[in-house]
Amino acid sequence: MASLPVITLDEYRRDALLSHGELWLRYFELGGMSTALEVEAFLYEALLPSPHDRDLIAHALNERFVELGGNHPVPYADDHDDA
Amino acid sequence: MNVDGRLAGFGVAARFDGDQAALDVRGEVDALGLPVLGALFDAVVASGYPSVVLDLSDMDSIDAAGLAVIAGAASTLIASGGRLMIRSSSTVVARVLDINWLSGLISWEFPAPDLDRLGPEQVGPVSATPLEAIHPDVVHNLRAVTAIPANQDVVDGALRLVVALARATVGGADGASVTLRRHGRLATVAASDQTILAMDADQYSTGEGPCVDASIAGRWFHAGSLDQETRWPAFTPKARALGISAILSSPLLSRDRPVGALNIYSRTATAFAAKEQELAAVFATEASSILTHAEVHLTDDQLTGRLQGALRTREIIAEAQGVIMERDEVGEKEAFDVMCRSSRSSGRSLREGAMDVVDSTRRHRPDIHPGPGGERRG
Repeated sequence: MASLPVITLDEYRRDALLSHGELWLRYFELGGMSTALEVEAFLYEALLPSPHDRDLIAHALNERFVELGGNHPVPYADDHDDA
Repeated sequence: MNVDGRLAGFGVAARFDGDQAALDVRGEVDALGLPVLGALFDAVVASGYPSVVLDLSDMDSIDAAGLAVIAGAASTLIASGGRLMIRSSSTVVARVLDINWLSGLISWEFPAPDLDRLGPEQVGPVSATPLEAIHPDVVHNLRAVTAIPANQDVVDGALRLVVALARATVGGADGASVTLRRHGRLATVAASDQTILAMDADQYSTGEGPCVDASIAGRWFHAGSLDQETRWPAFTPKARALGISAILSSPLLSRDRPVGALNIYSRTATAFAAKEQELAAVFATEASSILTHAEVHLTDDQLTGRLQGALRTREIIAEAQGVIMERDEVGEKEAFDVMCRSSRSSGRSLREGAMDVVDSTRRHRPDIHPGPGGERRG
C-alpha cells in the first residue's frame, strides 16, 4: 500500500510564504478562537486541532494560495474521510 | 569634583566627569537621608548636566518618598532633554520603580556579574563576547528590549514553543525557561512549569544565578553540579531545595546584544554534556533570531491597522454565519462549511462571500425560507 508523503500544515505555510504570525491573523480573521501558540502547535502537529480549527487553517492557507495564483491545495478535515 | 553627604547608615557621593554627573547612594534612604539625597539631586539637575547616573548598587532600601525624589528628578531631567540612568543590581528596586511607571522613563544598567562568578565555560559552544565589549552597550540593550513591538504575544508564543522543544529535546532536561529583560528588569516570559518559574524568580530576587549572569554578560553559564557550585551562594541553596542539580543558561542575543537567557534545568548532576550544550546553543540561537526578527517586525500602527481589518472581517463572517444558521437551521460549523464550499467553488474569498450574504439580508427584508423541518421559531 503505497502512500503519498504527507505534507504538514507547516510545510504548506512555508510554501504560502506566510509567517506564523500572519497565518494566525488570517485564521483569527475567519473566526478562529485558538491562540497563536496553539495554532503553531497545530502546524507542528504537537497538538491535534479540532476539525473546525483544521478547516479554518486549511482555508486561510488556501485563500493565500489563491492570492498567489494557485488553487486550493490544502485538504480540509472532511477530505480525508471522503477520499 | 566630589561632594559627600554622610549620615549614619546612609551616604551619598556626587561625582562629575565630563558631561556626566553620578550620585552613588549607600545604605538606607530614610527620613534622615532623603533631604540630603534630594538636595544633591536637585543641585546636580539644576547644574545642567545632561546625563545623570544614579548608582544604587550599594543602597539597602528606599521608601516611597525616595521614589518620589527620583521621579521628580527624572521628569525635570527628561523635560530638559537630559537622561537619567539607574545602576542597580536589586531587582526589588527595579520592580518597585516599575510599578511606579518609572522604568519607562529611566535607563537601567545592571552591573556585570562579579568576575569571580565567571566559570570555566568561557570557551564554549556559544561564541563568547568579551565582557568589556558588552558593558558600554547595556543602555542600548535596554532600549532594544523595550522596543519589542505590540506583537509581543506572538513573540512570547514562539518563545514558549522554543522552551517546550528544548525541554523535550535536550537530554536530561527536567525543565526550561526563557528570561528576557523587559522594561528594565529580568522576567520569565516562558517556563515549562511552576518549579522552573520559582527557580527563575529566586535568581531575580537574589540578583544572582546562571540565568541572571547569562542575561547580563551575554555568555553561557553552566552549573554542572550545584553540590559543588560556589559562584552563587544566595541562589544555589534555593535551587537545591527545589531538587535541581544542574543548570545550563545560554545567552539570547538580539543583534549581537545580550537581552536574556534560555535556561535548562536538570534534577541530575552532570546531565549536560557537550552534546546537550550544543543543542541548547542551537535553541538559544533560534530564540535569538525570533527576538531579532521581532524588533524589525510590524510597528504598533501597522499592527493596529491589521488587527482592525481582521476584526472587521471576523465580524462580517460571523454575521453571515448567523444568517446561514438561521436560514438553513444549521449549526455554526455547518454554516462555516457552507461558506467554505462556496468560496472553494467560486474562487472568491470567504470574506467576499460573507459580505454578499450580509448584503442580501440588508437590501430586501429577509425572506427566510423554512428549513427541512418546516418550522421556525418566531
